[in-house]
This record gives sequence, C-alpha cells and structure tokens, in this order.
Amino acid sequence: MEILQYTVRKLISGIPLVLGVTLISFLLMVYFGPDKTYELLGKNPTAQEIAEVRTQLGYDQPFLVRYVDYLRELVTLEFGNSDSTGEDVASLLARTIPISLALTGPGFVLGNLLGVLLALFAAFYRSTWVDKAIMASAVVGMSISFLIVIIAFQIIFASSYGLGWFPVRGWSVHSFGDYLSYVAVPTMAMVFVALGYNTRFYRSVLVEEMTRDHVRTARAFGVPPAKLFYKNILKNSMIPIITRVVFSIPLVIISGSLLIESYFGIPGVGKITYDAIISGDQPVLKAVVGLTAILFVLAQLLTDILYRAVDPRISLK
Amino acid sequence: MQADTQPLLSVRDLVIEFTTENGVVRAADGISFDVHENETLGIVGESGCGKTVTGLSILGLIPSPPGRVAGGSIRFMGRELVGLPDSEMRNIRGRDISMIFQEPMTALNPVFTVGNQMTDVLRRHRGLTRRQARDAAIEMLAKVGIPVPAKRIDEYPHQLSGGMRQRVMIAMALSCDPKLLIADEPTTALDVTTQAQVLEQIAGLQSEFKMAVVLITHDLGIVAETCRRAIVMYCGRIVENAAIERLFEAPRHPYAKGLLESIPRLRRERLDELPIIPGRVPNLLHLPPGCRFAARCPRADALCREQSPALVPAGPHGDFIACHHPHPGQQAEPAA
Ligand SMILES: Nc1ncnc2c1ncn2[C@@H]1O[C@H](COP(=O)(O)OP(=O)(O)OP(=O)(O)O)[C@@H](O)[C@H]1O
Ligand code: SF4
Ligand SMILES: [Mg+2]
Repeated sequence: MEILQYTVRKLISGIPLVLGVTLISFLLMVYFGPDKTYELLGKNPTAQEIAEVRTQLGYDQPFLVRYVDYLRELVTLEFGNSDSTGEDVASLLARTIPISLALTGPGFVLGNLLGVLLALFAAFYRSTWVDKAIMASAVVGMSISFLIVIIAFQIIFASSYGLGWFPVRGWSVHSFGDYLSYVAVPTMAMVFVALGYNTRFYRSVLVEEMTRDHVRTARAFGVPPAKLFYKNILKNSMIPIITRVVFSIPLVIISGSLLIESYFGIPGVGKITYDAIISGDQPVLKAVVGLTAILFVLAQLLTDILYRAVDPRISLK
Repeated sequence: MQADTQPLLSVRDLVIEFTTENGVVRAADGISFDVHENETLGIVGESGCGKTVTGLSILGLIPSPPGRVAGGSIRFMGRELVGLPDSEMRNIRGRDISMIFQEPMTALNPVFTVGNQMTDVLRRHRGLTRRQARDAAIEMLAKVGIPVPAKRIDEYPHQLSGGMRQRVMIAMALSCDPKLLIADEPTTALDVTTQAQVLEQIAGLQSEFKMAVVLITHDLGIVAETCRRAIVMYCGRIVENAAIERLFEAPRHPYAKGLLESIPRLRRERLDELPIIPGRVPNLLHLPPGCRFAARCPRADALCREQSPALVPAGPHGDFIACHHPHPGQQAEPAA
C-alpha cells in the first residue's frame, strides 16, 4: 500500500518535469524548427493557399492552444499522422520501438555484465598489473569514437574485405537466426564503446565498497569471499549501480539507437527520429520528445523504488 | 613471556609495511609479545603508533594493498598464523579469535539486520540451524545488556545508537566463545557513561567466557583497571612491556614514564587522550637512525642518537624494555 501511494505521489511530482521538457522542446520546434508549409505548396502559392495549408497543419492556432493539444496527444497517445509518410505516429512507434529494444538490449546488458566482470578483476587485483592492464585498455577503448568503431566493425566482421560473417546493414528478420546475424555487429560495437566507461565506473564503485569498515568486520568474522561479495560489496553498491543502469536506459534507447540505426540502416525508433529531425516531421518529433520525458520520470520512479528495496535506510517518503 | 605456561598467542619480530606514494612505511617494526590464557593485555600509545595494525595482523586482516606482513611470526595455540591460507584463517576468525573495532557506527553492514549478521556467524562457526542461531543471538544480545533483544535483533544498524551497535559487535564477537578477543578502542567513540558500561560488560564477559583479551586503548585509566600487563608502543615499536603494578608504580622507559608521571593522581581516572609529552612523533618515512624517542627524551645521549635500542628482557618477571638508559625501576619488586 505504501508503495502504491508512493508511486502515485512520485508520478504526480514528475508532471512538472514532463511539462518543462515538453514546453521547451515545443517552443524550439515551433519557433526555430522547420516549417512544413512551403514543402507542401507548389511554386508561387497564393496567400490563400498558404493560409489553407497552415490551417491544415494547425500552424494558425495560438501557441498555447497548440501546446495544450500536444499535451492531450501525449495523454491519449494519439499523435496524428506523420507529415512525411502519412503513417499514424502511434502505430509507427509501435512498430519501431520493439526493433530498437531488440537491437540495443543485448549490447546494453552485455556491456554492463562484462563491465562488472572486468571491474571485479581489476578491483580484486587492484594496483597489480592485472588492474593496470584492464584500466589502461578501458581508457584506450573510451577514447575511440563510436563512429570509427561502427565503421571498423562493419569492415572487419561484415564486409567482403573482412570476415564477411554478418550482413552489413538492414534488418530483415524472420527468424531468431536472422535476428542474431543482424544484431551481432551493432551489439559488438555497443559493447566495445560502453565497456571502458562501464568498467571504470563499476571498478570505482566496487573498490569504494571493498574498503569499507563493514567489509573488514565481515572478514574478521570469517565470511567467505563469495558471501562477502554478495552481502557486503554488491548489495551496498546497488544504489550507484541502479542509478546508472536505470538512467542509461532512456539514453541508450534514444541516442544509442539514433547512431546505430542510421549507420546500420535499421528501421527502429532512432532511425525515424533521425529522419524526422532531417525532414522536420513535427508529429513524430513531438511524440518522441514527449515520450522520452515521460520515460525519464518513470526511470526516476523506478530507481527510487529500487533504492528502497536494496537499502533499509531509505524510506519512501 | 613466562616459562611456566605455553602462551596462547605469541608474536615475534612482527613487521608490517605499507606501500605509500612516498615510499614504504613500517607501521609495526619488530613487535614481540605474548598473551596467556585468560589474561588481559593492554596496548597503549599515541595515535598512529601501530596499535590497530598490530591487532589486525593477528587476524590476517592488514588491508592489502597497500599493506603486508613483511616479517615475523604470530603463533596462536602453537599454530603459525603468518602465511596461513585464507581458507584456514577464516575458520579461526570469529571463532577462536574475535575482534571488536574502533568505529561502531560503520563497522556493521548497513543493509542487513543485526540478526542476519549475527546468525551468519553462529551458523558458520557453530553449525547451528537458523532457529537455534536466532535464539543464541538473542541470548547473546541480552547478555551484553541490550533491552528487548527479541525486537532489536530484527533492526538494522542505523536504528541503533553507537553504544548499542558496539554492544552488538561485542555480542557477535563473543557469540562463538573465542579464546582471544582483540578489542580495538572499543569505547573511544562512545560517551562516558556508555564507555563505563561497555567496559564492565567486557570485563564481566571475560571472566564468564574465560578468554584472553588484547585491549587496545588510549586510556591509561582503563588499562589500570582492567589489564594485568600492558605494552607501551611508540612509533611502530614496543618500548616497554610490564606488569601493570610495575608499569604504574615505576615505569622504566622514559616515554612510559613521561606518560604516567604527567598524570600522577589520575591513575584511577579516565582520560580520553594520552597526556601530552613535549615534542613531535617522527614521521614513519623519515625515522632517525637511533632511538625513535631521542628527540623528545630527557635522557638521550650520543649512543641513543646512533643506535636503536633493542627490546630486551628486564627483571625476573617477564618484563621487557627497549632503552639504552632506562630508569632504575622498583628496588624490591613484589611477586606478581
Ligand atoms: N591503510 C593504510 N595505508 C597506509 N598506511 C597505513 C594504513 N593503515 C595504517 N597505516 C600506517 O600505519 C600507522 C599505524 O596505524 P594504526 O591504525 O595502527 O595506528 P593506531 O595506533 O591504531 O592509531 P589510532 O590510535 O589513531 O587508532 C599509521 O600511522 C600509518 O602510517
Ligand atoms: S634509548 Fe635513549 S633516547 Fe631512547 S628512550 Fe632510552 S634514553 Fe631516551
Ligand atoms: Mg587504531
């Protein structure tokens, strides 16, 4: 019951954030964004034709009316049709979001798991050559740009100049085997890019926890290493880990897929966002921006609830 | 170091080193002492003189990196602990030798209940079932004076005061009936009334459990009240090891004498800090070639500045001293 009340309270307190983000992005879109009017008109349009198109696009309405309309769209999840393709935005999202999740999910999970694993080695053997080698590689990995990694991996693993194991681009997935072959190179690229950051982050979290007094106490009472790791180190590191993992979910979905999907020609939500930015497709952009803001509020809520689950000192107040 | 009985714990020439950015420091250098069954041995000395690292080394808990036991021997019940594999050391920790730490506020795991942490120890070392371990834990909590232990056991450390947490630590430390308890300033972080209660509890439990205690403290009053014998440490070394009456009546090492004489009437009172002796403790990174106390010692001469005094037996009663020119001490020594 407590948790339900808390959830409701948190959701309500997330409303200003959603309003703020949507208001600012909507302002930018309306006053500085692309204007579709002239794209839809022929050469030398009459004033009346212009007015008609503007009415059709809803551009003639006062800002506030348009903004409130936008909020209504967010609540009902009815965003109208895409300016460029005419497809219903809601069904467009329903089609592309699962692709993006399937695309970025494995890389995200693997990147974090491998990061924890490497960090554990580094932390356990800290200040020995094992640690130094891992951390030096992490820095090297971090300093290579995502684009270079993508292109290099495409050449190495997918092109006929390299191993040619996987398709270079596209997403024609009809079976699990297809899925694996299309997701392989993007996943490797994501893991490669995220691994350095993740390893450094997890190592610092783990080392900090490993040197705490309660870890020493546990060792003084003969707690074996596996239990020590789970009960003292991992459980106490959960707060920073949860924060990082949960908050990187919206980022990975949106920005991670933005680059990957455009470079691999994969029709996910990143690709349609990218296209919408290029073509000034306001209905799509409005939907993506609004939903991202909501996603952040939900991430915030999720972290708060998880905090409570892992740390008894935190209460849901 | 009496010849008649085999000591429970025997530390010889212990060297503990830490690798720091500025070089290797010897936090303990040539530490030797014995602890006999059922005896309370005090270790006193200024902050940073190596008391905690000495205590930690007995349990093999020197944080590594940056520290390590660089030499010497620690024998417990005839068994060498230096170099013992961790898996064997784990069977000793918390069962044969327990330790209570200086910082009660942070010494317990914040995300598990007191009961969870206590029953873990009991189940591991005494092979109890969950139910039995819980009963035993409640019983131990009652023994250390925690009111309503059946309720407290399900609380998290942050719900308890510092004094209560330290009692929980004591209960945990004694729950497996150890032969040796290392208590590292168990009361320093507590207020005065709680200090007295906790100390009384340790003393009471010591006689009940028949264990030996190594009591590390700043407080000479506590040493006078609870210890049979005490070691005075200075800058990583033992300077004097003497039975309590002799140490307080007639300290022989100039440092020990300085400490004790500056509080002629306070012997039976509590002091949070050691008395101040003029001068500064040398940096462990830049130690003088001779006696480490020479710069502050009224008896220092050329020999002291050149040659470091070794810890040697003094008198027939197992006392030790490291000084070129010790004070004469008592003439007619009473049989200890
Ligand atoms: N983790 C560490 N890293 C580096 N040096 C250390 C470490 N722990 C201890 N030392 C060194 O060992 C010396 C002795 O430390 P120790 O904690 O044993 O002192 P102490 O006598 O217990 O002091 P206090 O009364 O303040 O508790 C310190 O002065 C420091 O130089
Ligand atoms: S050896 Fe010399 S300097 Fe050191 S304590 Fe003894 S008398 Fe003083
Ligand atoms: Mg200490």
